[in-house]
Amino acid sequence: MWHIARRELYDNLHSLRFALTTVLLLALMLTNAVVHLREHPERVQNYRKAVANFHNELTAHAEDSLYRLAQKGPGRLWKKPSALHFCAEGGDQFLSYHVWAGYNRWSTDTLAGFWILSYPSVTPNLRNINPTVTKVDWGFIIGYVLSLVALLFSFDSVSGERERGTLRLALSNSVPRHTLLFGKFLGALISIAIPFTFAVLMNLLVISTSSDVHLGTDAWVRLGIIFCIALLYTSLFLGLGLLVSSRVQRSAVSLIILLLAWVLLVVFMPSTLASIAGGFSQPMSSDEFHERTNKLGDDAWDEYYDRLDEYYSRPEDTRGAPSKKIEIEGEFVMKDAEAQGRIHEEHLTQQIAQVKFARTTTRISPVAIVQHLLEVYAGTGFERHLQFLENVQSYARQFRIFIADTDSADPDSLHISGVPKGMSQKPVSPAAIPKFEDTLNLSRDFNAAVVDLLLLTLFVIVLLSGAYLAFVRVEV
Amino acid sequence: MLVTLIRRELLDNLMTFRFAAAVFITLLLVVANTVVLIRDYERRLADYDTAVKTHQRQLQERQTYSAINLMLDRPPNPLSLFNVGLDKQLGNQVEIYHGFIPTLWDAVRHGSDSSMMAIFSSIDIVFIFQVVLSLLALIFAHDALAGEHEQGTLRLVLTHFVRRGHILLAKYISAMLCLLVPLIMSLLFGVILLTTSTSISLSADDFLRIGGIVFASVAYLSVFYLIGLLISAMTRRTSTALMLSMFMWGFLVLVYPNVILAAFAPKASSRVHTISVFNRIERLWDEFERERIQYLKNDAHPGEDSGYGMHWAGWSSRSLREDSSGLLSYYRRVVHIEDLNEKSEPMVPLAQRYYQFLVPLTVDIADQTWNIRQPALEELFVQPATANRVLLKLSPVGLYDAATQAYAGTDLHGIRDFFAAARRYRQQVVDHFYDKKVFETRQWFAGDEGAAAWDSLPEFSFRRSDIGTNAKRAFLDICLLLMINVVLFIVIFLIFIKSEV
Repeated sequence: MWHIARRELYDNLHSLRFALTTVLLLALMLTNAVVHLREHPERVQNYRKAVANFHNELTAHAEDSLYRLAQKGPGRLWKKPSALHFCAEGGDQFLSYHVWAGYNRWSTDTLAGFWILSYPSVTPNLRNINPTVTKVDWGFIIGYVLSLVALLFSFDSVSGERERGTLRLALSNSVPRHTLLFGKFLGALISIAIPFTFAVLMNLLVISTSSDVHLGTDAWVRLGIIFCIALLYTSLFLGLGLLVSSRVQRSAVSLIILLLAWVLLVVFMPSTLASIAGGFSQPMSSDEFHERTNKLGDDAWDEYYDRLDEYYSRPEDTRGAPSKKIEIEGEFVMKDAEAQGRIHEEHLTQQIAQVKFARTTTRISPVAIVQHLLEVYAGTGFERHLQFLENVQSYARQFRIFIADTDSADPDSLHISGVPKGMSQKPVSPAAIPKFEDTLNLSRDFNAAVVDLLLLTLFVIVLLSGAYLAFVRVEV
Repeated sequence: MLVTLIRRELLDNLMTFRFAAAVFITLLLVVANTVVLIRDYERRLADYDTAVKTHQRQLQERQTYSAINLMLDRPPNPLSLFNVGLDKQLGNQVEIYHGFIPTLWDAVRHGSDSSMMAIFSSIDIVFIFQVVLSLLALIFAHDALAGEHEQGTLRLVLTHFVRRGHILLAKYISAMLCLLVPLIMSLLFGVILLTTSTSISLSADDFLRIGGIVFASVAYLSVFYLIGLLISAMTRRTSTALMLSMFMWGFLVLVYPNVILAAFAPKASSRVHTISVFNRIERLWDEFERERIQYLKNDAHPGEDSGYGMHWAGWSSRSLREDSSGLLSYYRRVVHIEDLNEKSEPMVPLAQRYYQFLVPLTVDIADQTWNIRQPALEELFVQPATANRVLLKLSPVGLYDAATQAYAGTDLHGIRDFFAAARRYRQQVVDHFYDKKVFETRQWFAGDEGAAAWDSLPEFSFRRSDIGTNAKRAFLDICLLLMINVVLFIVIFLIFIKSEV
């Protein structure tokens, strides 16, 4: 078998396609590295600046009073840019870089609305009149270029030999057919892996020599996984190529079928399917969302006024404890914040559900699977955004608990949250406030990617066994 | 003789598997995507209608002229189905206000599209042609000469009294005829789907524009067929020709458009320039503010109070909006008096005189700001974008894209047409204000004695540029495409004539 693989390899090394592939992949990978080095430092700097701002604001609120801290909330929480952004851009520009945990909705002389988590949407292209192009990231290079190359390496592997008659020659030896097929497969895989590895190494060399980008151990592990995924994906298209090549008599026909299949699977299926699937669910429109938030706000105020009226209409001695009015106010503020928070969350959940469904649908296309996988391991894109949102939500809970605990530790406070009079007015030590840290977790990423990984492997197995069955039945 | 040759080639091509596959795949893609695109367009149209209604209602709610809340909405372009261009991504709602002159960069986006869905790229019909037709053209062309050479039929044909030019011409014509079948068929299906949709109404001009798009598509198709033919003429073996064609395709369609812009990033050095321009604009408004305060000091009412100590119910707002990245700065004073205290009545003429002074000054400064801002915006936004487009046009894909965008009216010119119309409309509104002398009226700030008459405002109407303008904008790109065709054909002819059989 190794013998066959080696023969294939030598054949390929001399060929035109090998040279062209090397040049193409190298050029793409170097462009990718250069662009990353140009853009990444700015991204990191922006993030650092934003986080510094966040800390300053938080400290200012904390030094004022606990009430102010509780009312203003933690402020803007920022998503940490991934060092592996060059692997997969993942539509990051369309996903917000922050969540605003401190949206100031209203205030009166005595009361102010409490913070809620609001999820800003981004429209990055509003002013951008530049022509839109696909970002040249690894996802593009692997998903589009490598798959095309894989087809070009495998379309004639069986049909071409049959045309030239060398297949008959090879099979006249005592070589089992599956060995021959597997040898061909390995030979093609290795001959693609050589230029790809070379290009990847050059890319990483350029990136890691720059002092602006720091890649830790974790990042290298991730890169290793991404490399393996790329090889798996290449095998998928090699399997497809072998399958069609064995079924079809002439290599020209085989290439036409393969190219058209490639165009369908890779170029069109992801976006078309996503658009179709996205049309099935219609999340709340922004107009409807604003209408509903306004209505909720009005309802809360109406109820508050009703309760105040009822409170004042009672004779003074039956009004209960002096803190009763503060309680009404506190309840109103907290209820309002809770209701508004819920509707913001609902808006977000609907959008996420729509995108999730669209992404699930696109999984029929292998390129979409690979792009999901790359995004997950590069720490960009949609899954990463979900992780960030989860981090934010758990931090929000932590923050609320911290406020409640600090308030109950203050003996002067009435422990009625929502109202200045009911809460502790003492300053809080900024060091005691829980810090928001946006983290990336490899094992969690692995879990998120398991379905995609399994699907990809399944595709590879099905196509390879299909190729095997087709080849075994080939008449020479 | 030529006819016989063409007939032979045509039959040869029509009977092949690749022809069937080409027709099938283009039809499938175009029809499936047209359905999706129509639905998307209908949604955008519905959003537009809602926005127009909302904005009309919001305008009517304002009782004073100073509180004018006039929004113009850009309707979606029905031809964006063919090439979406910038139609979807740029702002489609712009405010008309006497204090500033609106541009594309001040527009915002209405509409209910879930922004997260933007992570999926969208496809238009021209993109399908861009990818599929070029691939098909190369597949048809790769063995046209090399194949006959390999099989030896070329030698056979040339033993007859056939001119080599005729063979080439026959091959070209028949293959183009074959390739036109999937193009025309899928477009026809697309247009049929379009016309069945009730919300899309295409005018006669639109059909001419679609004709322009078809013409550009044919020119594009021909370029790729000729590239394939050239490769086929230069190489002796079909497999080499095929391999080279595929890499050529990958480079031209996939790699070049995406890499070229990343490699040549726009320079960020204009930052300093932006700031200096913005400072100049700010100085204008500082000067304005000084004059305003000066006026208030010198008028009959003591102090600098522009409210003249009136007691009223209603609302007011004052803002100096600044945005250095968009070079925008303007002053806005809104007074919306719903009920005026009787004791304040003597102050009303004073306030009227103040606004009679203030508003023309605002308009004047807005004009001056525009004089500084317009060239700066050109330099800041338009020039880099134009440079990028020129880079893209080095490949036939870019030329094709630009030509079809120009025909569809979704290119930068087409979008800017709307904003030019918005600026003209603003001028009309300002002129209308001057004619009716509304600055001096009580309705400028108080609606208690009759609200502002919004119905007498001039109507805004926007019509896309006529087909002649579209054709003019596409002319250069089409010409370049045709020129590439001619050059390629001549080169192939020369190579083919010299080649040994």
